[in-house]
Amino acid sequence: MVSGTITDTDFDEPLDSSGIGNVDEVESFSYDDGIVRAFAVATLFWGLVATLLGLAVAHLLVIPKMFGEDPVLSFGRLRPLHTNAAIFAFVGNALFAAVYYSTQRLCKSRMWSGLLSQLHFWGWQFIVIAAAVTLPFGVTQGKALAELEWPIDLWIALVWIGFFGLNFFMTLRRRRTQRLHVSLWFYIVTIVTVAVLHIVSNVVLPIDQVTSYPLFAGVHDAVIQWCYGYNAVSFLLLMPFLGLMYYFLPKAVGQPIHSYRLAILHFWSLALLFAWAGPHRIHYTAMPEWVSSLGMLTGLMLWMPSWGGLVNGLMTLRSRWDKVSSDSVLKFFLVAVVFYGITTFESALLSIKSISSLSHYSDWTIAHVHAGAMGWNGMLAFGMIYWLMPRIFQTNVWSEKAIKFHFWIATIGLLLSVVPLYIAGFQEAWMWGALDELGNLKYPDFVDSINAVKMMWWLRIVGGLIYVVGIITMTVNFVMTWLSRPSQYEVPVHRIDPVSSDASSGSSLGLLGEIATRLDNAPVLDAARSMERGMQLAWHQRWERLPSRFANLMLLAIIVASVIQVVPVFLVRSNVPKIATVKPYTPLELAGREIYVAEGCYNCHSQMVRSLVAETKRYGDYSQPGEFIYDYPFQWGNRRIGPDLAREGVNRQTSLWHWNHLEDPTKLVEDSVMPSYAHLLDTAIDYEKIVERVKVMERLGVPYGQGESESDAEDVDYAQLARDQAERVAAEVVSAGGTIRRGDVMTLDSQAVALIAYLQRLGTDLTAPPETKEETKNEDVRKQVTFEAGAEIHAVAKPVLASAARQ
Amino acid sequence: MNDSKDERFTPSVQSDNAADGQENTLQFEENPIPRWWKWCFIATIAFAPPYLFWHHCGVEGRSMVGRYEVALAANLQLQFGEMGELTADRENVVKYLYEPSWLKVGKAVFKANCVSCHGKDGGGLVGPNLCDDSYKNVKDIGDILKVLQKGANAGAMPAWEGRLSVNEIVLVSSYVASMRGSQPAIAKPAQGREIDPWPAAPIADEAESEQSEDQEMIEGSSS
Repeated sequence: MVSGTITDTDFDEPLDSSGIGNVDEVESFSYDDGIVRAFAVATLFWGLVATLLGLAVAHLLVIPKMFGEDPVLSFGRLRPLHTNAAIFAFVGNALFAAVYYSTQRLCKSRMWSGLLSQLHFWGWQFIVIAAAVTLPFGVTQGKALAELEWPIDLWIALVWIGFFGLNFFMTLRRRRTQRLHVSLWFYIVTIVTVAVLHIVSNVVLPIDQVTSYPLFAGVHDAVIQWCYGYNAVSFLLLMPFLGLMYYFLPKAVGQPIHSYRLAILHFWSLALLFAWAGPHRIHYTAMPEWVSSLGMLTGLMLWMPSWGGLVNGLMTLRSRWDKVSSDSVLKFFLVAVVFYGITTFESALLSIKSISSLSHYSDWTIAHVHAGAMGWNGMLAFGMIYWLMPRIFQTNVWSEKAIKFHFWIATIGLLLSVVPLYIAGFQEAWMWGALDELGNLKYPDFVDSINAVKMMWWLRIVGGLIYVVGIITMTVNFVMTWLSRPSQYEVPVHRIDPVSSDASSGSSLGLLGEIATRLDNAPVLDAARSMERGMQLAWHQRWERLPSRFANLMLLAIIVASVIQVVPVFLVRSNVPKIATVKPYTPLELAGREIYVAEGCYNCHSQMVRSLVAETKRYGDYSQPGEFIYDYPFQWGNRRIGPDLAREGVNRQTSLWHWNHLEDPTKLVEDSVMPSYAHLLDTAIDYEKIVERVKVMERLGVPYGQGESESDAEDVDYAQLARDQAERVAAEVVSAGGTIRRGDVMTLDSQAVALIAYLQRLGTDLTAPPETKEETKNEDVRKQVTFEAGAEIHAVAKPVLASAARQ
Repeated sequence: MNDSKDERFTPSVQSDNAADGQENTLQFEENPIPRWWKWCFIATIAFAPPYLFWHHCGVEGRSMVGRYEVALAANLQLQFGEMGELTADRENVVKYLYEPSWLKVGKAVFKANCVSCHGKDGGGLVGPNLCDDSYKNVKDIGDILKVLQKGANAGAMPAWEGRLSVNEIVLVSSYVASMRGSQPAIAKPAQGREIDPWPAAPIADEAESEQSEDQEMIEGSSS
């Protein structure tokens, strides 16, 4: 018996096979399916909420004024809620349902702690609700898919590691099986990786109960976001769902998985390569080029490892092709696996620089993620829940026909919402890049590209609507099945001899040397024999008894990738060359930036001119790493529903234009889909808060008051500085014919003025005239942090404002 | 031999649930890894070192910025190749007013930078109407150039010197001049004073450009 070599202290070995138990004793146990039922209900509920939110934001694109002017319901605030609901609430709960159902069965053990399971369930729902009550009110970290603020992030870490992870790993430890099934490998690396990525991407400096600033600015913040923030989400959408597939698909088909070798190879290559691929999403940006190249190459390398899952899934389904045509659950799985193949192939394609230049910022990316989330995650989750329904409710499914109906309607809805988005993406990318025979932009007016795809946006809504009808059908079916459940669930008690089932497999899996190979009597080198033994994968079967080895290797993979790819971006100065003329934002601009972040402007506007001719012709000089060193958080964005704003201050509008544009964009750009931000014109700036924010910036290392002695720096009245600049901007607005007050709020007190000051500053530093040394020495700190452009107007401002006020 | 093979590919779990009786579903079959899969994987890995070397070995024109600069130079050649570096003077504004192919370049600059204040077709929004015969800061065609370079109205009309190239400023001046007399969809009421018609085309170029639509339009309006 193998247990001779195992001690109690070995964490990796299941406790119950350690040989201390009475061999004659038969253990009995049962599974906790209540928690699976709970997560299944949550999956459906949040699935409905997430898709309805999706419909709402899709409508806002074509009818920007659908919800009036309520800022809570504006696109920039609702879209993050939609993405967070879809990923954390819908996909998250679905994967938890899968993990809780399959882990217990794969370990032949009840979950370690029922209390932790409950805490996990309610803790996770609380996260989703916390998202719903913060994001629409502008409480956000301002980074796509890492929007949730620090208290919620802490809570996520606690629920994920303290409740979910602990419960899961303790269950593994108490398993009554020797080796771990493939699904469990995927679950293990998911728990480890998502925990690490989530924590690193959300290391922030909290400044009050709900808000925070990131510790790093610009390029550094971006590298954290793309290597950790985005990777956490793509990992969550990919790895646990492969684990789900490896359990539920063969169960539903009734056939074993196609290839064990392939499963091993694609698992490890995915797990080890994944941490590298983050930067494939930001080619041609201010990210150092070598980081971008590494991202592209590993992105390409991930193509086949991802397709290992496709091959295994499809070939397993093919072994019972006859069953697929009659079984709706298998049809869901088939479409899911096909969409998995499409989107992972596309991921590899999109990591190529020239192709990424088309997809980045356009609807192509949106199409890609919807194909993934609705096709792969959605269809797989639906199939799983239909498969689970009779099992967890211990009764027949209410209507098989309804399942069939849902399958067809979901497939049609999926195609109808994804295909138009692809077309829109290609159209936008082409129109943004098209040059005429003289080398000029063919469509210099950005809004042309919006008008060209509006039809597609409408079609996408139709598709989404159909998809939602499918989920409603499913909900009805689910509830009706639940109603016909038995009055009391039967909880089967399983009995297992704790040793006997493992003894046989244990003995055959002893040391490597014991394994016979077909080369044993052949005249070959010993090396060939050990290679042959290695190829038989017995070593891996031994690994499969060591869950902590999976966890450790995964950690190691992330650390290696970080050390080689991420750390140098921080440490090697040449990655972010300093630009002498780049100065910190003025206090008022800082306040404007905060409004920009809170309103979610980054959902539609990028601040990153890429080094592509069509782009610099449209927006101005390409962005450089050194321009972003005071950007906490960075706001490069990943979608252009409106034009890029990185050079907004250099060659764009007057302050009055901005003022009118914020009030009602359609007055100036007839076909604009930007919502009205009139509430910024009607809300006053909190000057005291500005002072606090400047202090926080100082703590982060932004040089306010630099060059002054410490006592002088203390004396600077940042609120007064902000007021002065607000006065100048307001004077620009008023002297050009703008209003002096709206309702109770003077123009110079309005938040809009702060936002305009910020917008007018964007991109101007790069071409600002350099200061001479003497100037720097003598210059008042006020001048250093205020912008010079308004100085002349300042003289004009006072009388204009005064006379206007008299009237 | 056979026994050990079976053992190898029947991982730990015989059945996930003693009650559901599908004992074989969590095992694996012993199918080999597809050949195409293996070779594609190897190919994507093998592609990496040459790619890295090619783009990062330091040869000029292979980096991202290097390729951008090459593309930008080609684009400038396309745009201004035959005209060279212009001087910003009245003569040039008049000259290109009668060269429709270059007016197109001016139009592109206008669309990219001016429409938000002067309207899509120059009818005026925040900025004045450019299609009528009245001008606020322009008495002669050369003044358009000055307004563009230095700005006007205390910065309401920004100064474009330094933001646009000299060639672009000349061409957009010509284009703005060419708008005079056109019919915008929404016209802002006239501001400023009415001024004399633009000068006629320089004699040397007249023969070439006589057939152009733009010129007919301009001549029609000024007569």
